[in-house]
Amino acid sequence: MSSATPPPSVFDGIAGVIVVLVLLAEFGMLHATLLFLQLRLYAAQSFLLSVLAGVAAYAKHVPELYALAVLSCALKVFAVPATIRRLVGQPSQEIAGSGVLGVGTRTLLGLAVTAVGFFAAKAWHIHGTFLPSTALSLSVSVLLVSFVLMIVRRDVVSQAVGLFSLENAVSLASLVVAAAMPLLLEVAFLFDLLVAVVVFGVLIRTHQLRRRSFLTTDLTELRG
Amino acid sequence: MNPTLPDPLIQIFQVGTVTLAGPGLSGFIARVEARLQGRRGPRILQPYYDIAKLFRKEALAPTDASGFFLMAPFVAFACYLTIPLLIPVLTSYGLPLGYMGDILGGGFLLALASFAIATAAAETGSPYAQLGSSRSKTFGAITEPVVLFVVFAVALLTGTDLPYALAATVRSGAGQIVRPAHLLAAAAFFLVILYETGRIPVETHNGTNEFGMIEEARSFEYSGPYLAILRWGSSMKQMIFYVLLINVFLAPWGLASNGSLVAVVLAVLALLGKAAVVGVGVAVIDNSFAKLRLFKITQLVAAAFLLAVLAVFTLYLGGG
Repeated sequence: MSSATPPPSVFDGIAGVIVVLVLLAEFGMLHATLLFLQLRLYAAQSFLLSVLAGVAAYAKHVPELYALAVLSCALKVFAVPATIRRLVGQPSQEIAGSGVLGVGTRTLLGLAVTAVGFFAAKAWHIHGTFLPSTALSLSVSVLLVSFVLMIVRRDVVSQAVGLFSLENAVSLASLVVAAAMPLLLEVAFLFDLLVAVVVFGVLIRTHQLRRRSFLTTDLTELRG
Repeated sequence: MNPTLPDPLIQIFQVGTVTLAGPGLSGFIARVEARLQGRRGPRILQPYYDIAKLFRKEALAPTDASGFFLMAPFVAFACYLTIPLLIPVLTSYGLPLGYMGDILGGGFLLALASFAIATAAAETGSPYAQLGSSRSKTFGAITEPVVLFVVFAVALLTGTDLPYALAATVRSGAGQIVRPAHLLAAAAFFLVILYETGRIPVETHNGTNEFGMIEEARSFEYSGPYLAILRWGSSMKQMIFYVLLINVFLAPWGLASNGSLVAVVLAVLALLGKAAVVGVGVAVIDNSFAKLRLFKITQLVAAAFLLAVLAVFTLYLGGG
């Protein structure tokens, strides 16, 4: 029994499970076939982050994190998906055919970058004050998988959602390494995201109106 | 009066529970499924009546089939009788012969049973049976890595890969239950069970849709007592998977911690109750999803593989 990995504390375990669910939501977005499913997964991922902030606030007695959790929930779970939905305006359109790679290859690629995330975070030797260091590894993995999402899906919605979820990964990393960051800074980041959402929403809408599709492969005018 | 039973007798009870409760569990799930679909459904005891009826029927075999065709159901049945010796069905402590094999040993026995049935099906010359045989081996090859990674996760969690040790580890504290690696490995194993028991995403476990048939097609050429043994074995396999999920991964509570008769009887009742709960869950999942095209099975396996590999990553690289 000596070679067994010792268990984390209950708080670390729960935080770890939430962060793993954040990563699984990212994988879900990587495979989602419907536009609205992808948006729902993004909302779920953002909700999990808010829950994590709330759990950390409760367990470690950091009241500022409650404010962050509520703000991030209001913006990322409700405002951002609603804005995108409003700007896109099409009911459950398929984005299924936009994957450059098959399901298996995509999963393996996602797992490979997840491993890179774990190795990278391990090499930094950074230990968070409130959350376990596994959360930092997983946040780097979420960030890398969101890059994979933007690279292998050739539709504007996936690429925008990939960018938004990348912001989620950065928020998660900041929760681990700088949870006591001034609230004002966090709020500024959140509103930056909102600007990005509006800009991307307008771009998605323009692309859709001009090309009648979400696929970026239709952008052929400037090809040589 | 509460006599203490000798360990060998409890071990026989373990095998007996899986053997006798298997068809009942299938009947219960079929009943729940019928209710979910708004039908009255068969009796819970119907699988027992079916098996008894098949034992009284004449057995026929294809003309070109060899003795192996007739032997295969018994080989598989013997494998399913051996596995309950290795896993904590009723007790939280190891019984005689309980440590003769680990989870991999149990996996090998399951694979041997599946191999025997698939080989016998391939031998019949019947296109449907051969199709089932080929499909089960093809998809078996892609689910194997998932099972292996689940075993690796268990090994990293406990430092051994004995089912009794994992159950004891899970019982040892709340930190063990909520740790991500344990939950991920359990979820991956649950997806493997859904596939192995023909619940999702393409197969119809009652074998009415040829395009989605995998396991069911293999028994096409069997009849009489041989078919009875195959059906019985198949329900035992389902029970074994449920026992592994319940008593090793999810809820290893309610097991007998000593050999007293009352504790063993209570353990039997607890196991039946827990298996019924898992059965209801599986029936609900099975009836909430539309059946998919055969080749969509890779998506389910990819999801299970993702969970299992993440379990190993969080343990080996993340320390969780």
